[in-house]
Amino acid sequence: MYSGEFDGAAAFSGGGFMPSQATTVPDPSSSFSKNRNVRTLLPMTVKQLSELSSNDESSASIDGADVNTITVVGIVCDMQDKEPQFIFLIDDGTGRIECSRWAHEQMEFNEVNQISKGMYVRVYGHLKAFQDKRSLNAYSLRPIIDFNEITSHFVECIYVQLYNTRLRYSFDEGKSIDQMVLNFLRRPEFLANNNGVHRNVISQQLNLPMDKLMEALESLNENSLVYSIDEFHYKSAVNA
Amino acid sequence: MDTSNPAVFVNGGLMRMYVGRRIRTVIQVIQSDGGGVTGKSTDGHQLVVKGPQPGFPLTTFVEVIGIADTDRSIRAEIWNNFGNTFDTQSYNQLCQLANGEFKHLFI
Repeated sequence: MYSGEFDGAAAFSGGGFMPSQATTVPDPSSSFSKNRNVRTLLPMTVKQLSELSSNDESSASIDGADVNTITVVGIVCDMQDKEPQFIFLIDDGTGRIECSRWAHEQMEFNEVNQISKGMYVRVYGHLKAFQDKRSLNAYSLRPIIDFNEITSHFVECIYVQLYNTRLRYSFDEGKSIDQMVLNFLRRPEFLANNNGVHRNVISQQLNLPMDKLMEALESLNENSLVYSIDEFHYKSAVNA
Repeated sequence: MDTSNPAVFVNGGLMRMYVGRRIRTVIQVIQSDGGGVTGKSTDGHQLVVKGPQPGFPLTTFVEVIGIADTDRSIRAEIWNNFGNTFDTQSYNQLCQLANGEFKHLFI
């Protein structure tokens, strides 16, 4: 259960909850499907989870960030023992979500036995959807002992949303997006590729909405910093 | 997932916005007697919490989840002991953010 599913190094690199662009190298031969090398760990409220854009958990996203692993903090309001599956209903004050924890080894049973109804817990897990119902596949549940963690969790939820919607693009928005796109196209693997990069790939890799990307590409094109190979592919005009 | 019955983060000053609605707040217990529990909210207001008290003794800081009866009193459903040390300043700021521009993340 633990090995292979959660890559701690990838999730926590970059010094925070947000994956650093420096740590990910996109595979130019990949299709437009989600880049699974980027793992995110997002603190979220149940209200945010209920509003995620897609019912298919393999492509859910929020504010431009992929949703892989999430963490919630709340009170256990109900517990069901359906060994080896344990189902916890967690209420974080914004809503309730069901979290399933599978236990096969002693360590996992020990973890589950520590949890009781009415307790505040921290949950790490993956979002899963079955028909219309969303729930969490929890791989870690632990009791909260320092209640400042509750305040901290919700403040982090706010910060991550703020980061993904605003701070990611600096105040001088126009300039930094142009630079970001240019830097992207100047990566060695793209400079070497004469076919250019499809604009969908740029948009997805940089988490940029298409209209903003096209503004940047047109501006860079006008300044002869990039050129378009066909209607959709772009290449840097200058070798870095 | 059920988001139909949220409990809004409030401090003393924000309670007036949610009279009759389900709220949650942390208070510092000043006094506890038959009339209820009197506590200080994270922004320094005095609040009274009524309702059946829990079977366990209360720590200095307690989270109360319940219905705001008035702008200074709560009918408690749930009591959670938050221990004898708690960062009230951060909690107070969270209450303001959760009721301000980030309200949509909570209710």
